[in-house]
Amino acid sequence: MAKVTREMVERAGVDVDQLLELLVKNAAAELTTYYYYTILRVNLIDLEGEGVKEIAEVARIEDRNHFEALVPRIYELGGELPQDMKKFHDMSACPPAYLPEDLTDVKAILTVLVEAERCAVRGYTQICNMTAGKDHRTYDLALAILNEEIEHESWFSEFLGEGPSGHFMRRGETSPFVSKFLK
Amino acid sequence: MRRFTKKELAQYNGKDGALAFIACEGKVYDVSRSFLWQDGRHQVLHIAGVDLTASLDQAPHGADLLERFSVVGMLEEN
Repeated sequence: MAKVTREMVERAGVDVDQLLELLVKNAAAELTTYYYYTILRVNLIDLEGEGVKEIAEVARIEDRNHFEALVPRIYELGGELPQDMKKFHDMSACPPAYLPEDLTDVKAILTVLVEAERCAVRGYTQICNMTAGKDHRTYDLALAILNEEIEHESWFSEFLGEGPSGHFMRRGETSPFVSKFLK
Repeated sequence: MRRFTKKELAQYNGKDGALAFIACEGKVYDVSRSFLWQDGRHQVLHIAGVDLTASLDQAPHGADLLERFSVVGMLEEN
């Protein structure tokens, strides 16, 4: 634990225990999403599904990166991950992104993906709101993750016919916003 | 439709097997089966069995998300 780091955040008026619980729940959401997206991705097949597979893969890898980036901050602030993986799964900040019953329904898979991203966008917006101007490092991290979650949402939303995402998919390395926390 | 006082609503706090109900803008919603309301807690900051109308202003979502849950009654004003 980084004692002075935690003290600074507490003195700024943040309930650090509350913040830690949120960070652990969102870390659980990232790792479980990485797992469920693996299943969703392999089922994105045929003429319709193949076109979505690449962005599902990028979102999957970036969600794993988010988990990796969150863990150090949790321990810096004096928190920890649960010993039990089952408990970790069940405390996730977002519901499990289960494969829909009809595996051939690409729109249903996309709906699962976009709902997961929307849950994440809400979660990191909440953390940014809690930490803005008070816990600079957590804010910086949550904002970086939020930037990527927003892009994921817009990609899937575009495929659902909700309007243009406004940008291209990744070219080159993944996690353009979060990568600075992974070095 | 059933009418709830705040005291009656408080019994539906989602703890120890109790159902989890929340109130918002006069309607009482059953959130018991939601993954995001396990044990009557939601995203660390909110608990079931209370009127959350005021908290919604600070939430990263609008009242439209509550429409996913069934309305089980109305909350009495006093």
